[in-house]
Amino acid sequence: MSEDPPHSASDWLTILASSYSDGARKTDRMLATRALSLVGKRALSTSICLRGGHGVAKIDDYAMPAYFDRPDNPLPDIRFVQSLTVEQQSLKEKEMGSWATLSNEEKIALYRISFDQSFAEMNQGSAEWKSVVAGLLFLTGFTGFVVLWQRKYVYGPVPHTFAPEWKEKELQRMLDMRINPIEGFSAKWDYENKQWKK
Amino acid sequence: MAHPSQLGFQDAASPLMEELLHFHDHALMIVILISTMVLYIIVAMVTAQLTDKLVLDSQEIEVIWTVLPAIILILIALPSLRILYLMDEINDPHLTIKALGHQWYWSYEYTDYQDLGFDSYMIPTQDLTPGQFRLLEADHRMVIPVESPIRVLISAEDVLHSWAVPSLGVKVDAVPGRLNQATFIVSRPGVFYGQCSEICGANHSFMPVVVEAVPLDHFENWSSLMIEDA
Repeated sequence: MSEDPPHSASDWLTILASSYSDGARKTDRMLATRALSLVGKRALSTSICLRGGHGVAKIDDYAMPAYFDRPDNPLPDIRFVQSLTVEQQSLKEKEMGSWATLSNEEKIALYRISFDQSFAEMNQGSAEWKSVVAGLLFLTGFTGFVVLWQRKYVYGPVPHTFAPEWKEKELQRMLDMRINPIEGFSAKWDYENKQWKK
Repeated sequence: MAHPSQLGFQDAASPLMEELLHFHDHALMIVILISTMVLYIIVAMVTAQLTDKLVLDSQEIEVIWTVLPAIILILIALPSLRILYLMDEINDPHLTIKALGHQWYWSYEYTDYQDLGFDSYMIPTQDLTPGQFRLLEADHRMVIPVESPIRVLISAEDVLHSWAVPSLGVKVDAVPGRLNQATFIVSRPGVFYGQCSEICGANHSFMPVVVEAVPLDHFENWSSLMIEDA
């Protein structure tokens, strides 16, 4: 343990406390870790505001390690269940031994102590899309209804040039004038046989 | 004119419009390819199940997606500039016509040989004969000889207008106090419609441009008749 570089507040405090006197009196070290235990076991690597060796100034909740379920970050900073029941505590002690002795239910229980959702639960979709599509279709239908109502009750009549006889004469005139004769309109008319090209 | 529910350009009636059509095909193809690629990438990213947490940077791809768009832009710019300069080439017009925008009609003046001038009003919807096109027909058309370079000097007498004929590839603003020049050659005989393209008041939508291209002898007959009638 002395070879590990210090990477948590508890380690730093331990070092700090032990540097006050030669030979790191045991009581000093115990004071430091006891101060940290006030904060709770959650304080592993976090930004607690410390007062130079003699206490904690403040702790912001958002700065504390939090639990999360993320598929791309599989190991959260802390366990899901912080305060274990008696049953769970005894299970944790059983976990110290050989894992072959654990039954499947015990393994699952241990998993659920450490984690909230399994990967399958995390990644599953929901049925929300059905509500979205339903809402979309309903609103589209409603809009169609509004449009039809407008056409009947709001808009005036279309100009007389929209009458079918007029439109026929217009089309014939467009063909006679060779409107768009290259690739467009008149290009699609067979002038020899007087019909649209197949 | 456009046929009902037409989405694309009208068929070209002048060489310049043909160039514009081909350029549009070229640019639109590039746009479609890029958009398809982007759409695919978006869908692939959104539906990906796995996350790579360690992607920080990549010099190689940064270079690629800087250089490649620059090349694509050059490939678009070169034909575009070619057409731009093509439009301004020195040509020798056979005829010069002045098109003047008024509220709300066009007037055309043919003053090369004799003084010919007339107004071109839209035919109101209730006065149309069956088969005529609503909002497009005018009482007097601008008649020009086919396959001849024509110069049109465009100006306005009151407010801004714009003289536009899509099938000829022409749209030029009519600015009061200013002469703007457009030149074109009409490749085939026919009637070509356009509409005023700059907001100019209440009847902005009701002052169409109608150009009629006819063989030279027809044009000469027409201009003689117009001068007599004046």
